[in-house]
Amino acid sequence: MTRMLSFDNVELYYDHVYALKGVSIELNEGETVALIGANGAGKSSILRAITGLRKIKSGQITYMGERLDGTSAPEVVRKGIAMVPEGRRVFPLMSVKDNLLMGAFTRSDKPGIEQTLESILTRFPRLRERFNQQASTLSGGEQQMMVIGRALMAKPRLLLLDEPSLGIAPKLVQDIARAIVAISRDEGVSVLLVEQNSRMALSISNRAYALSLGQVVLSGNSRELLNDPRVKAAYLGGDV
Amino acid sequence: MEQIIANGLYLGAQYALIALGLTLIFSLMNVLNFAHGQMYVLGGFVCYTVVAQLGMPFIVGLVASALVLAVLGGLIERFLFRPVIRRSKRDESTMLLAAGIAFFLDAVILLLFGEKQRGVPKVVNGVFNWDFRIIMPYDRILIGMLAIGLIVAFILFMQYSKAGRAMRALAQDRVAAQLMGVDVDRYSMIGFAMGAMLAGLVGALLVTITGVNLGMGGPTSIKAFLMIMIGGAGVISGAIAGGFILGMMESVGLSVLSSYGDVTYLVIFATLMIFLAIRPQGLMGKPWG
Repeated sequence: MTRMLSFDNVELYYDHVYALKGVSIELNEGETVALIGANGAGKSSILRAITGLRKIKSGQITYMGERLDGTSAPEVVRKGIAMVPEGRRVFPLMSVKDNLLMGAFTRSDKPGIEQTLESILTRFPRLRERFNQQASTLSGGEQQMMVIGRALMAKPRLLLLDEPSLGIAPKLVQDIARAIVAISRDEGVSVLLVEQNSRMALSISNRAYALSLGQVVLSGNSRELLNDPRVKAAYLGGDV
Repeated sequence: MEQIIANGLYLGAQYALIALGLTLIFSLMNVLNFAHGQMYVLGGFVCYTVVAQLGMPFIVGLVASALVLAVLGGLIERFLFRPVIRRSKRDESTMLLAAGIAFFLDAVILLLFGEKQRGVPKVVNGVFNWDFRIIMPYDRILIGMLAIGLIVAFILFMQYSKAGRAMRALAQDRVAAQLMGVDVDRYSMIGFAMGAMLAGLVGALLVTITGVNLGMGGPTSIKAFLMIMIGGAGVISGAIAGGFILGMMESVGLSVLSSYGDVTYLVIFATLMIFLAIRPQGLMGKPWG
């Protein structure tokens, strides 16, 4: 297994409040890695640091053997990292079609884009039905499918998912979990998944890190963590 | 009646173009461009210089105005707005900067072109007369058609080109657009250049009809803000609706209210105040801009 992404002692601050306090994580090619933890634990900050939306204060982020921190957001997309942001962030006044095409913004190979679009519409048939509708008219679940499709339009090697189950009807959470598994299997894309729904996250990932107050407090094989009494107590308390 | 509608459409097309530029800049950068009217005046003077002084055809003047204003707009974004936005989080900073640019452009226009009213010879002669119901000089019809053509071209560009899609995305969700790989700096610059270009184009179109003078900048900015308040700031359809509505109101006002004196704009302002009290986001305004 080749190392795809690694964080080496990364610190990140919002103004003067720290969000990441010396975080070291890694992700290998083909893996699905979950980041779990409470609100404000620093999970999303890790994703923001990768995408270049936030600058890190110290430490180092390495991607495919090259240094990633300091790279601008557009350049990060070009390197093959696509993000599904928290709260979906659809382009509300644009059609499903235009939303998906925005995902391929950094690509210029027209036939390739057509092909990716076709494969996404096959994966999410609802998007084909709603193809020319305004994104704001879609349900929460449909919007989530659309933004996952939008990220896939970039043909990423690494897919970052920020709380894909947030605000989605419980019935649809399973659909989304299944879609994530299928995508990582079919497209050979590595996944870094941030979730508050720890049970879901652990059940579809290979490995996981638990974060608390900006630090990694637990890490290991997802299946083992699911049965770990500490994890059960801290993260799986209620049946979600 | 037909005459009033024809006049309103003609005026509205020009106004809509001005409002489109203003709303484009606002939606992309959250900047209220108080210098929009001055850019319009500058466009008029560029066209005047090319056509009346250098003796070139009108179309050359039109293209020259578009190019000069696009370059000027790009430079203003790159060297004035961008550093200010980077350093200051407060909206007032860009408002003050825009107001400062308005004064500066007024001074530049005064130095370069003087304070006189300037115009160019008619592009086409003759008057269209439909049974004395609509009487309109052919040059007004031509300019109106050109303005409508430009509006259509702008809409098609925003709807179907990759750059247009990127700008719409940027206006609707800045962070998501960045995550798609849209370079915010680059598209802010393109957007500002396009907005300024549209203002310049209207100036160049109207210099053939009404001429331009130094004093038209401020009032034009105010009218442009009226239009995007009517239509809803940051929305393309709103800018177009606002432009045509203001054009129509002015046309109606000038013929119906003229016997009561120069009260058209008084009535328009009063109506707008009531309208905004009822619907502050404007006609097409959406909570997400």
